[in-house]
Amino acid sequence: MPESTPLWGTLLLPLVLAGAAAAVAGADAVLSASARQGPAGSPRTAASRAALPLREGLRLLVQQPRRTTAADRALGRTGIALVPLAAVLAGAVLPWGFRAVIDPSVGIVWFNAMEALAWASVWLTGWGPNSALSLIGGYRFLALGLAYELPHMFALTTAALGAESLRVGDVVAAQQSLWFVVWMPAAFAVYLLSAMAMAFWGPFGGPLGGDAAGGAAAELTGVDRLVFLGGRWMLLVVTAAASVPLFLGGGHGPVLPGWAWTLLKTAAVLALLLWARRAFPLLRTERWMSRSWMVLVPLTLVQALVAAAVVLGS
Amino acid sequence: MDLRSALRRRLVNRPATLLVCLPGATRLRLEAAAELRYRGWPSASGPADADLLLVCAGPGGTGGEWLENVRGAMPWPAARTILHASGQAARALDEGARKVAAEAGTVPAATEARPGTGDGPPMAGRGDDRDGLRLDQLHLPLGPALPDWPAGLILRLTLQGDLVQEAHPECVDAGTHPHIPFWDEPWLRAARGEMVPRGAAARRRCAAHLDSVGRLLAVTGWDGPAARARRIRDGLLASPAGGGAVPGDELRRLVNRLERSRTLRRMTEGLGELPARRARALGVSGPALVADGDTYDRLCVWLHEIRRSHRALAAPGLLEPGDTGGPRGTVGDGILPPSRALLGALPELLAGRTFDAARTVLAGLDPDIDQLLAAPAQSAGAADA
Repeated sequence: MPESTPLWGTLLLPLVLAGAAAAVAGADAVLSASARQGPAGSPRTAASRAALPLREGLRLLVQQPRRTTAADRALGRTGIALVPLAAVLAGAVLPWGFRAVIDPSVGIVWFNAMEALAWASVWLTGWGPNSALSLIGGYRFLALGLAYELPHMFALTTAALGAESLRVGDVVAAQQSLWFVVWMPAAFAVYLLSAMAMAFWGPFGGPLGGDAAGGAAAELTGVDRLVFLGGRWMLLVVTAAASVPLFLGGGHGPVLPGWAWTLLKTAAVLALLLWARRAFPLLRTERWMSRSWMVLVPLTLVQALVAAAVVLGS
Repeated sequence: MDLRSALRRRLVNRPATLLVCLPGATRLRLEAAAELRYRGWPSASGPADADLLLVCAGPGGTGGEWLENVRGAMPWPAARTILHASGQAARALDEGARKVAAEAGTVPAATEARPGTGDGPPMAGRGDDRDGLRLDQLHLPLGPALPDWPAGLILRLTLQGDLVQEAHPECVDAGTHPHIPFWDEPWLRAARGEMVPRGAAARRRCAAHLDSVGRLLAVTGWDGPAARARRIRDGLLASPAGGGAVPGDELRRLVNRLERSRTLRRMTEGLGELPARRARALGVSGPALVADGDTYDRLCVWLHEIRRSHRALAAPGLLEPGDTGGPRGTVGDGILPPSRALLGALPELLAGRTFDAARTVLAGLDPDIDQLLAAPAQSAGAADA
């Protein structure tokens, strides 16, 4: 249902994403702190722990950036700036309730294409500082991309198949009676995995891994670090939020208005991802590359076949 | 400008701390880590992320050029504090926070390009890789200031991309000085004739293995259980020798979870295969010999030892002088330190591995450089870690 969005909606999108990123980072900080220091004794302690990402962000703003020898400033800065840009552009097609900032007829393809910006960005960020560990982090992301991209695209294609359209608004409309997750669960599960991989976060956080002293972000300081890491949280919010219109029925649901359902479903997906981060160690790409190609790709293909059969049959 | 400096000062109230431990300062590192954890200060993943550099220096010295490079790589505002003596952790952290706040109130000096890994990066040479191609080779020293890294170890790697072609371990030049390595203290004291309760030795062994497990989990990227293991370790070390709050349930839950985790198994198996015969030939003793296998087998041995020593916390009696099995192997005056054998095994275990696999193998062996640098003490009273 394409409706034109007012200009303020377009300007609001980056702010909403930044706010959501800060909220998710805060929830993650509370969970990490309860493992590190023990459970929070009082709501005040929990609130103080949740404010940690904001404090860190302000601290980074105050920090003076420093350069490494023979750094490639132009490419490095391009890579850093691309992460939040990719998040905002990809999030533009996601509906809030039933209305998105833009709703092109090839919305799903647009979403996938913006992810390509994230591919370029992590490698460029790793390349920029001319540091061995940074570059290792950048290359880790390329290996990760090789592992997750095909299952990711097939999962997106399955959702588009179910609605017989590439427009995100049509996908939401097609789920009025039954959510897609019910009859394409494999695609949903694979999409969630690839959502974490696309944001190189959680079990797929190898590119920024602690064993490489922060990987691609090892030499980032000050504003650069804030933009890159904040952009990564925004990307996670966007990829998690995309599963709602694609598989979980968008704004559809009884009683509450569309935007409330979108909010609730997105929060549920993010809670699931936060749990997944705690439940598994870092999945090293060399260990799961074969599983991704030998298991996930055939699985998503079979799921797409089933979806196509259902659509043709009905 | 006053408002901005006040804002800066408030913001560095909880500085991100990079904890660097020099050889011989294990007890100080544990105290500092416990204090940091208690205060909830964020721990930095590298110099770029850090406000405060906390150096735990034993009697051996205060580090060399590499430490100055680390300090130079930290962006403004930053400060350094040195922790010299036991029991001073809280004061050192307070002083460090004051220094960072004072730095934040001043005007920063003009920025200059600082080296990422040293002055003047060398050109990459060329060498054969495992497929017979001639590819670029980079000589990279993995330094002593990496987080979750054995204190005082320098590993000189020859990298092609992220594949390790060669690895040569070295120790930081800190000189030998009379001290007893912290983790082996009960057994060394018993060997010299002192009366050491069995419970205290079991407590030290349990804490040593929890420290190693925590480090392996941190390197493997599982931060939650790593933090829990370290919290239980701090609880064990802080309790008085006679009893006190020992977190039994939490420890059992943690060990169960680690043993049951299939993902952890899949991520650590097949790395660093060290058969028992080869281990014996190298002089390796302790868990690495008993494990007779890869990193996952060594982890299982550690978990088993944690369970066993936790059950023995209340054991009566004293250590026999003949009981010389420390956490990393057989210790004693005149015996090859177990960590030297472990370091000797590193080049063959790390060759041909990817970078993250190499770090996992190293964390799975967890050599203790203190053992290599300890000279025999003149008397039990003079040696105090």
